[in-house]
Amino acid sequence: MIARVGLERRPLGIADYALGAWVAILVAVTVYGAATTTGFLTVSNMKAILTAASFVGIIAVGLTVIVLSGSLFSLALGQTAAVSAMFFLYSVRWGLGAAIILTLLLGLAIGAVQGFAVGAWGANPIIITIGAAGLLEGAAVWLSHGESIVPPDNRTSWEHLANPVLGLPAPVYVFIAVSILLAVVMRRTRFGRQIYLLGENRVAARAAALPITLLTVGAFGIASLYTAGSGILIGATSANASLLLVGSYTYDAIAAALVGGNAVTGGRGSIARTALGAIFIATISDMLLLRGYSTGGQILVRGIIVVVVVVLTNLRERNR
Amino acid sequence: MSRETTRPRWLNAADLAPFAILALMVVALALVPVFTQYTVRTANVYDIFQNFASYGLVALALGLTIIAGEFDLSVSAMYLLGGMVAVLTGGGSPMVGILVALGTAVIVGVAQGGLIARFRLNSMPVTLGGYLVVLGTTYILGHGKSVIYEDYNVGLRLDEPILQIFSIRSLVAIGIFAVTIVALRYLRVGRDIRAIGGDRRAARVAGVSVDRLLIGVFVMSALGAALAGALLSYSLATASPTNIGVDVLTFSATAALLGGVRLSGGKGGAIGIAAGVFSLSVLQEILAILRSPDYVSSLITGGLLVAVTIVWAPELSQWFRTTRVSASLEKDRTPA
Repeated sequence: MIARVGLERRPLGIADYALGAWVAILVAVTVYGAATTTGFLTVSNMKAILTAASFVGIIAVGLTVIVLSGSLFSLALGQTAAVSAMFFLYSVRWGLGAAIILTLLLGLAIGAVQGFAVGAWGANPIIITIGAAGLLEGAAVWLSHGESIVPPDNRTSWEHLANPVLGLPAPVYVFIAVSILLAVVMRRTRFGRQIYLLGENRVAARAAALPITLLTVGAFGIASLYTAGSGILIGATSANASLLLVGSYTYDAIAAALVGGNAVTGGRGSIARTALGAIFIATISDMLLLRGYSTGGQILVRGIIVVVVVVLTNLRERNR
Repeated sequence: MSRETTRPRWLNAADLAPFAILALMVVALALVPVFTQYTVRTANVYDIFQNFASYGLVALALGLTIIAGEFDLSVSAMYLLGGMVAVLTGGGSPMVGILVALGTAVIVGVAQGGLIARFRLNSMPVTLGGYLVVLGTTYILGHGKSVIYEDYNVGLRLDEPILQIFSIRSLVAIGIFAVTIVALRYLRVGRDIRAIGGDRRAARVAGVSVDRLLIGVFVMSALGAALAGALLSYSLATASPTNIGVDVLTFSATAALLGGVRLSGGKGGAIGIAAGVFSLSVLQEILAILRSPDYVSSLITGGLLVAVTIVWAPELSQWFRTTRVSASLEKDRTPA
């Protein structure tokens, strides 16, 4: 029963048409841009888009679990990614396998602690994650003495993580694999269905005695675990890591989840939507870059897309 | 019931917390000379008021939206845009620059508040989008770089010590705080803002014009951030699309929450926020005196923010109660 949440057929409302029109406009602009931007429709540029989409996408699909669970989003993802990249490049001296496992565990722990405060005590997720971001930045500078981390010279095993496989960079395969894995978990397991129910109706979830604390710990844990995974790939690709890597990952991942049309208040949406959102954001950013738009132009366009999609998805949800 | 309402407000422990924290910080500052060679001078008090001037209005802006049951994530970007607009348009007269910055803020506030009120949207995603739009605009206006304000005298004039510890900049902030304290406490608008934050449906039924108030709150929020940003940019004679100094959002959220504003909305006032800002300003000054590296400030502010969010968390006391109950049940079940 619960698995069918969000799948019911219903008559289309004006908001559906508005959203449809918006998607059509975005697709049309993208196609027009693709046709008229020099250097866009090349194999190497497609690879660049996919690689960029992979780093953000892995973080964004993980974040989707938080969004679906009704805890809005996390503002500590960029910091988690950067700290993970730093820790990974440092710990690679203990062997590649150990480094990957330790980094993922670190990510899981960072998220689980935040999820516990949110789930058990009802602490505000946004503020908790803003605080966590400050703590992560402080701890990272403290432990690294403000220097960027480079892997030891005698170890090169990590380079495999950035090398192309069958013509595509390795992160692309990771992105596809972990997205499918999470999509299956969210649709086919009891954990996934309970996350949907929690986000859809918190009161009902409480009445049904769902383990809200555990679910929220799980949601933040998965988001942070995926972010750490992305951090490993980012670290391996850049071959040195510092807090500069924080960049715009936090906002790009949230933008991907929102642009995919997931309901911000939780309960409705899917991993696939976010994955598409991430590819879309990466495509737009790449096109703007090729057309010579500045950083500001790219941020501005992303912001406008986010606001419009938030308004339209909200209107559509209300018609249900 | 009647006891709840007639009990004088100043006897409430939770209301006193912000001032207790401020007192602790002041004691900590007073103890600095005991542990170091440093003697605390009036210059340090001046610095504390300067910190207050730089970040206080942003905390007040954010705090107002929290009291109204919302959250404005765009304040840190509005702070930067206010500075950028003021520097770019205030070449002839700094006053014109400030007015243009404030005008920009009104547009941003009306747009965000209008969307949130009209469509009853969650303010977090809307102001996140707003943050990106405002930040993007700041980058575009500054061509992605810092912009210098040619007239250094404006900054010197704004920061010139008055009565040794104040400056025009800090007096402006203190004045605006004073007006807001009075308005929130004694005017109907203060009661109404708390009402829409506490129970919006009841407020609507009681005839409060919720939509207009919400738009007003977001306009005030943008205005506070823009004014603080504009004054700081004149003071530094530069505007930049990237963060100047401490992370404004973390600072102001921590200050507002330390000041007794609850994230559930409806609680808190400007005097508490002022105490929260002063607490953090004193803390920044102590860290500056001790020459602590920046990361110490990040760790302490981040830790404080997490701690105060958990302390104010709605289900914390319930959680302790249920764990204690289940623990005692557990004890009952085990045979003696």
